[in-house]
Amino acid sequence: MAEVDNRVPLDWDALEVGEVFEKFEYVLTQDMINEYRRGVMDPEAAFPTISHKVDVRQFNAKYSDNGSVNARCAFHCYNSPVPGKRLIVTAWVADKYLRRGKNYIVTEATSVDEDGRLIDRVITHELKQPWEVGKKWEG
Amino acid sequence: MGGIVRSYSEGDPVGPLVKEMTQEAINLFEGSAGQSGPSQFTDEEAARETLGTSGTVASGRMSISFALEMMRRHFGSSVFNHTGMVDLRFLRPVRPGDTITFSGEVAGTSLEANGQRVNVKIQVQNQRGDTTAVGMGSTIVPNAFLPAEE
Repeated sequence: MAEVDNRVPLDWDALEVGEVFEKFEYVLTQDMINEYRRGVMDPEAAFPTISHKVDVRQFNAKYSDNGSVNARCAFHCYNSPVPGKRLIVTAWVADKYLRRGKNYIVTEATSVDEDGRLIDRVITHELKQPWEVGKKWEG
Repeated sequence: MGGIVRSYSEGDPVGPLVKEMTQEAINLFEGSAGQSGPSQFTDEEAARETLGTSGTVASGRMSISFALEMMRRHFGSSVFNHTGMVDLRFLRPVRPGDTITFSGEVAGTSLEANGQRVNVKIQVQNQRGDTTAVGMGSTIVPNAFLPAEE
């Protein structure tokens, strides 16, 4: 049976900066860490949380759109996550802006583990007309 | 890897770090978070539909991971993994088969309550010499890892 898509079509003008999404929780396993480290070819990589894209996960769970391209990303390290611990993510819409006729949305998230240790903070600027850069890249 | 006692000056080199991008690496990166469905990163058809590109691209977050590695190797994990950050703007795609080189240069230092903040200008280039990303990184080096004042 096909899954029902209950997401709301994104209305960039109506989107409120400051909207905080429902908390997202997951357990970071040693297998996830190992796979991430193989992917980035760094056996000491300490922040596999970045591949989980937690800053946009809840946004994408709520809104449907035509996809996006990551235009800018900042990542702050506080404490490397411990395998097996539950991580609690709080994400929100930090900003939105229009540049050269293109719409951008900035999402931000912090991850804290089940013991209250602050793990990281990630801020991402997503361009909401991904085909625009695709045209440029292929040209 | 512990902290390294040394001073930092504007113009000091950081890196370089060279990475060979492969589709397998991209798939592992995406799969490590349980992303199993087709996406612009893992599937050519999805990339064509979403981006209009002829092939897949690597997530900018992989470049973030590599920049974190370059900074961590320079400053030491006991420093960088607690006070470090990177901030990159993505200018061109990184594709499977690309060789990308991360390099940095200390752009300045400033005093913080708990040490010295070192700011690093970061540049990423592919094998053709095209810049794929630019940005900054920084970390706060605790006083214990700075040379004693004379």
